[in-house]
Amino acid sequence: MLIWLILVPVMAAALIGLLKTPGKLTAVTSAVITLILATAAVFCDCCTTCGAPPTGTGFCQLTLGLPLSSIMLILTVLVTFAATLGLKAPNKDAERSWSISALLLSAGATGAFLSDSIISFYAFHELALIPTFVMIGYYGRGDRRTIAWTATLYLGLASMVLLAGLLMLCMSLNVWSFTDLRDTMQQLAQAGALLQNADSLLTLMSITGLLLIIGFGTLVSLFPFHSWAAPAYASAPTPVAMLHAGVLKKFGLYGLFTLAWAMGPLCPAFFGDWNNALLVLLLGNILWVGYVTVSRTRLDDMLGNSSVMHMGYLFLAFAVFIATEGQSELAFKGAALLMLAHGLTIAMLFLLTGQIESQTRTLELDSMGGLGQKLPKLGFLFGLAGLASIGLPLLANFPGEFSIFLSCFDGWTPGTGAVESGLTGTIASWFGGLGPVQLTLIFALWGLVISAIYMLRAFRRIFTGEVRLASERATSLSRTDILAAGFLAAFIVFFGILPTVFFN
Amino acid sequence: MTETIQPMYNWCEFAPTFGLVGLAVILLMADAFLPKFPKQAYAIAGAIGCAVAAYASAAGENLMDYFAALACVATGVCLLISYDYRKITCESVNGGLTQEGSGEFNILPLIATAGICALSKAQDLITLFVSLEVVTLSSYVLVGYYRRNQGSIEAGVKYLILGALSTGMLVFGAAWYFGMTGSFVLDPVIYAQALYGGEAHHPTIFLGFLMALCFLLFGAFFKVGAAPMHTWIPDVYQGAPTPISAFLAVSSKVAGFIALIVLLAPIAELSAALQAPITYLVTVMAVVGAATLLIGNLGAIPQTNAKRLLGYSSIGQAGFILAFFQGATCNVIDVIQYLLAYGLATLPAFCAIALIRRQRGSEEISAFRGLARTNPRLAFLITVCFASLAGVPLTAGFLVKLKAFIAILQANLSFAWMGWAMLIIMIICAAAGFYYYFKVIRAMYWEKPQAADTPISIPVSSGAIITICAILLIITGTMPLLYSYTF
Repeated sequence: MLIWLILVPVMAAALIGLLKTPGKLTAVTSAVITLILATAAVFCDCCTTCGAPPTGTGFCQLTLGLPLSSIMLILTVLVTFAATLGLKAPNKDAERSWSISALLLSAGATGAFLSDSIISFYAFHELALIPTFVMIGYYGRGDRRTIAWTATLYLGLASMVLLAGLLMLCMSLNVWSFTDLRDTMQQLAQAGALLQNADSLLTLMSITGLLLIIGFGTLVSLFPFHSWAAPAYASAPTPVAMLHAGVLKKFGLYGLFTLAWAMGPLCPAFFGDWNNALLVLLLGNILWVGYVTVSRTRLDDMLGNSSVMHMGYLFLAFAVFIATEGQSELAFKGAALLMLAHGLTIAMLFLLTGQIESQTRTLELDSMGGLGQKLPKLGFLFGLAGLASIGLPLLANFPGEFSIFLSCFDGWTPGTGAVESGLTGTIASWFGGLGPVQLTLIFALWGLVISAIYMLRAFRRIFTGEVRLASERATSLSRTDILAAGFLAAFIVFFGILPTVFFN
Repeated sequence: MTETIQPMYNWCEFAPTFGLVGLAVILLMADAFLPKFPKQAYAIAGAIGCAVAAYASAAGENLMDYFAALACVATGVCLLISYDYRKITCESVNGGLTQEGSGEFNILPLIATAGICALSKAQDLITLFVSLEVVTLSSYVLVGYYRRNQGSIEAGVKYLILGALSTGMLVFGAAWYFGMTGSFVLDPVIYAQALYGGEAHHPTIFLGFLMALCFLLFGAFFKVGAAPMHTWIPDVYQGAPTPISAFLAVSSKVAGFIALIVLLAPIAELSAALQAPITYLVTVMAVVGAATLLIGNLGAIPQTNAKRLLGYSSIGQAGFILAFFQGATCNVIDVIQYLLAYGLATLPAFCAIALIRRQRGSEEISAFRGLARTNPRLAFLITVCFASLAGVPLTAGFLVKLKAFIAILQANLSFAWMGWAMLIIMIICAAAGFYYYFKVIRAMYWEKPQAADTPISIPVSSGAIITICAILLIITGTMPLLYSYTF
């Protein structure tokens, strides 16, 4: 059954490409089918085999048994539906290519999120990456060749590093799937003495962890490997930007978290050495990129940067998860919720950006104004998505962000907090025993303020005030536009009120 | 000496060989006695014969039969390319006025393929040598077949001279082999006696036997296109008629790997039994593999001629396949898979070159210009083939290249640094591959067609070859991802 979640979009893409069926219609049909299938697979008991870990070779290796698979699958199908429904291309050819790339992106992401085999997990991601480059290079805004080339270089190299890391992991332990990795790791953890004596194995694990962090980190736009991301999102056609920023970028975090989950209590052996460095880098994401975002004057550029900035919170959750030796459920679940919420929110924002651009034919914040008077529904939806992105309670991002912030104090007790030796110990003693994670949190919280600044300011500039020239051009939104954005908005509210739906 | 070891031939297994030879003889008779009969029909008949032979070979129980089947299919595809290429064949043979003299062009590949089928059954050096020579001798004629084309004649002469050298090496090696062991049979017991003793063992025998083996291997390297026996490849591929270049690139290369496996299989068994590789051979294979990788992949970078590019590419890909032979073992299934992926991508590439040569009159990469505008689907299919050669994920090329990398990491090399050195070389070469294979893709998508460029008309057989191969590349590249597997 799970195979169809991948095959349906691929076949739909083949239909559009080879038989020239109408692009949008085919894509939406495929998206509806996958939406129904995925909902059935996740929430009904009709798929008994899906949740079980695959056994033996030669059998279908797709599974919903991994902790993050279901939630990411739901994210993928929701965003795919909205992206295909809201797809609005300049001409027939572009509509076909956009539909094909949206479907392939969706199929690739689905495959990656459902794969138990680590090599398949990697390769499916490439299926999704290739259309991104092509679409930016062909239909992008602005200096598209350079942007496509930069993204290709960054992501191509990152994929190489990632492949090296994954191969080192798989070959040194002779495991090729997440399930096997978890089993092996649990055996290793039980035979704890073995690890303490194997220095070379520990070095190998540490190097593997570094390669994984750099590889996955670049794909998720970890500071300082983030500079490809914002221009690429700003340039990409709307459905590609929605799916890439909303869904595909979660691939890296999904990989890190699933690997860390599979490594269990041994995950610090891989990532522990780099955790403090990661904390500094993620502050770069939140604060540095945050300030960059504030200074942007184009809406698409600003949203691209904001998406990079929000990745910092997810890396924070990862750092907490490592620091607590894989014990912090709060960080894990918070990250899962935030991935879902951020995916929905940023996809919705990019969708609305596309609609704003088609109405006003500009995205310069300075030249817009008063659009809310012309298009109040658009204003409402944008405001909702913007507030969700800031982290307002009762909207989807809040439970995720809040859990992550809370989780930073997992395993820490006032006064008696584990004070390490060396530099971190000295710093900790100045701050009353706060460890590196807690200190990072204090800085990271400012990200909330920063995102409130840029998001509310953008809203004010676009929708309020007197009606400027660009907003005069606005006519009205079509019903499908509203429907596509409203669909995402409904789920943003739904997951804000009922975040526990995935964790009974 | 203990009792003599005799090869165990089951003549029923040679049915595909005899069938192909029989078909070739019938067609040659028809060619001689029915001058009015359309010669291109021989290509079709040959392709059908190849398909039957492939089916018969694949029904065998031995893994080597799959090599034979692969070679048969590849030859069948080459004959179909040659069918679409008939006009140029006639022009280059007799000026294009009649079809006279173009018949053997479609028949000789069958004889060569019969040789490959026999080679896959070889258990002794005589069979090995004779089958390999059947392949080589037919190829000499085919490479120089276009007598009105200077390039073809030049290629024929070069191939003849270098081919004779490799034949000489093979004979020399066989003679030494017989001298050292008193037998022509390729068997682990004989290898073990020559290498590790028995009665009257003398160190000279050890060295002499290794020398014999090296000469024999170099004979096989010639067909494979491994350094230092690779020098003929770019020139001959460029000069030879395109269907024959495709034949040399796939079928003939398969023959080379069959020979290599036949020669190395006893060593592999021996190393497995002794838990220790034979150091000298391991070093030879590692040096040859590294040199082949570097020469093929770095040499391809400056090429502007598409056939020459594919020539260097075939050297480079052979280098990646040699990764499976490191440690002087041979993992037969991996080699078959790699050759399959290679063939599925290379045959349609030559097919596309033939199409473009027929209509745009050029075999340069620049002749692919603007194909994305004039023939978008053809451009996409060619992209798939070249992407697979480069090893882009989701094509068969990615998985097999990944296997090559893993094979190197798992190989039992004499020194640890050799493994790392090979790995680094392979990474450099894979990266180089991305550059030079994408030259063709860039020409198709980034360059604009010239005003006079009309869409390429695609005959049914060529279109079918390219489409089927591209689809198979994608299916074999993606379907394994849905299933669990380990390396």
